[in-house]
Amino acid sequence: MDLLSFARGPGLYFALVVFTVGVTWRIVGIALLRSGKLLSEPRTSLGRALFGGFATMGSRSWPHPEFVGRTGAGEALGYSYHIGMFIVILAFAPHIQAWGAFLGFTWPALPSSVITIISVLTFTLLLAVLFRRLTHRVLRLLSNFDDYFSWFITALVIVTGLLATAHVGGPYETLLGLHILAFDVLLVWFPCGKLMHAFYIMPSRAINGYLLARKGAPS
Amino acid sequence: MTLRLADIGVRVDPGYGLGGGVTAVLHEIATRLERLADTGEFDIIDLRSLPLSPADRDRLQSVLGTGEVEATVKIDGESKVRETGIAGVWWIEHRDADGVVIADLLEIARVPEILNVAQDELGRGAAALRARIARGGNQAIQEAP
Amino acid sequence: MTRNTIGEHLLQNGVSRRAFLKYCTAMASLMALPPTMGRAMAETLRAARRPSVIYHSFQECTGCLESFTRSFSPSVESLMFNVISLDYQDTLMAAAGHRAEEARAQAMKDNDGEYLLIIDGSIPTGDGGVYGAAGGQSYVNMLKEAGKGAAAVICVGTCSSFGGIPMAHPNPTGARPVSEIISGKPIVNISGCPPVPEVITGTLFQYVSMGKLPELDTLGRPKVFFGNSIHDRCYRRPFYDAGKFAKTFDDEGARNGWCLYELGCKGPTTYNACATVKWNGATSFPIESGHGCIGCSEPNFWDKGSFYAPLSSAAFGASGNVSPREAAKLVGAAAVVGGAIGLGAAAISRKRQETLAGAAPDKKGG
Repeated sequence: MDLLSFARGPGLYFALVVFTVGVTWRIVGIALLRSGKLLSEPRTSLGRALFGGFATMGSRSWPHPEFVGRTGAGEALGYSYHIGMFIVILAFAPHIQAWGAFLGFTWPALPSSVITIISVLTFTLLLAVLFRRLTHRVLRLLSNFDDYFSWFITALVIVTGLLATAHVGGPYETLLGLHILAFDVLLVWFPCGKLMHAFYIMPSRAINGYLLARKGAPS
Repeated sequence: MTLRLADIGVRVDPGYGLGGGVTAVLHEIATRLERLADTGEFDIIDLRSLPLSPADRDRLQSVLGTGEVEATVKIDGESKVRETGIAGVWWIEHRDADGVVIADLLEIARVPEILNVAQDELGRGAAALRARIARGGNQAIQEAP
Repeated sequence: MTRNTIGEHLLQNGVSRRAFLKYCTAMASLMALPPTMGRAMAETLRAARRPSVIYHSFQECTGCLESFTRSFSPSVESLMFNVISLDYQDTLMAAAGHRAEEARAQAMKDNDGEYLLIIDGSIPTGDGGVYGAAGGQSYVNMLKEAGKGAAAVICVGTCSSFGGIPMAHPNPTGARPVSEIISGKPIVNISGCPPVPEVITGTLFQYVSMGKLPELDTLGRPKVFFGNSIHDRCYRRPFYDAGKFAKTFDDEGARNGWCLYELGCKGPTTYNACATVKWNGATSFPIESGHGCIGCSEPNFWDKGSFYAPLSSAAFGASGNVSPREAAKLVGAAAVVGGAIGLGAAAISRKRQETLAGAAPDKKGG
């Protein structure tokens, strides 16, 4: 069995199983944890508190005016490469085909040249993010293996994808095989590290916002 | 009625992203022509090795134009040698006995090699002619080459 | 046995210098060699002797031979009469039965260590090789015997090169490619189901005209013909680059000649000369007729999922390419397992939380 057949076949199958088991495990495991009792009297109605939860999902997704000078650059970088990644994942014709096999329907693609430009930009932004992590003293002290490996595997998927479409560095089937294999590894790693933020980030903001609003400090 | 390829409604969408190759080929021809002028070194471009669409070929042909010389070489199928509108650039199309194109070339040379006569052939030609004169010069037409 | 050089042979047959130059130019063009190589080839070829060729057909459909005989340039006749000496090919030769076998034995004896062995078809090795035999001898033994005195083995077709369709799952006859049976001899694989006719004759022509075997890729195929993927040399490539794809075989995109990637074209992973040499005397190749490449010159092409599923899609499931139903089942089952483990994990964590907090068990969970 060649690399591409393995990556698309048993490799992807295994990765999908690990991904799904891991993600549901973690979500169910956290959702059912005991949460702290609200010891004070509720300051707002349940309805307002729930609205506060929703509002926080939005407000926390935007730089706080007071800190924008310090956090703005980081947030702009983060947003940009996330948007770039989503465009590439959802609007590149071969990716849409991969989705189509699972979902049973497809949608129009962007021209491959546009996707190539966005991928290069996204990768450049990823490099900038890594540079910031390495040069920012506090951030560097806070970083662990999870941060670097999650960055590495994401970057590897983008780079191998770019090489495969550009036919640079080896035959297409090998590069495509490496690209899909890197994606398989990313899927396996997904529930193990910070990539889980894709599932956690919005619920945790909402719960925080709800609790704060309930305590009379809506954000 | 038999269905022919031309009857099927499949066509190449013209002008969408195509044609970039033609400009590259034209630059290549110009470079080799300059080299021919400087060093006398001839060169050949194999058009079938280039991914040109029929529309690309038409464009190439229209840019190069038509020259003054057109020769037909009859050996195991016809070969057409045409001078293009650019002096020193010859469009050569070899066909086999069934009329199938077996080579499609641009030769950049003063005279294409296929039209030239080799040194040893000159010698053999002179000998053959002497032999014909010796026999009275009447059976030339019957003699095999 | 001494043979004339090809140059002498041609001169005797009244082939002129121009004819020879034309022939070699066409060959150089066919093999995508630098066009000026035509003249160099003409000179080597004049001095070369015609090699003896023994052509065996094993577990095959004769499609490769059908293809071989449809070579336009060089035509198989001109190759057989001018460039090689085809001493054994049981379908083409006039002799049959013991006469044919004697001719083969004689050719092998006379040209020991020098003849070119062409193999077409895979070799059944299961159950002692009983699935294929001729003249009371199993194919596997015939190959071993013929391989001993060969200068080189040329595998014509995907079956002899990589096992092909006979070796496809579940491979009931234990089919094997030549390379797994013959060792210590140079082996050239001319894969394809069937190979492009001019690729077969061109490789033979090149062997004789250059006096050596061509440069091979990692799968033992001549680089001149198998160096580029179909995708790299495809005239529809600009549409791939522009993201313009046919979605069905009869939509606007298909009629406009857009890229067939989404319809399962295997051009990007298939190495062959179809897009340049083309078929039927350079008339066209499958993509030109509106059908994607099926990847027939690659190992195990038969077992690599559907011909109509795009390369980037997943390759597992009953049909070889996952269906939405199968995907939903897989994800659903995995989610149930994950959920169950999550439940267990939560139960353990809650117990720990309770111990840490020293709190009394609380059914509502706070």
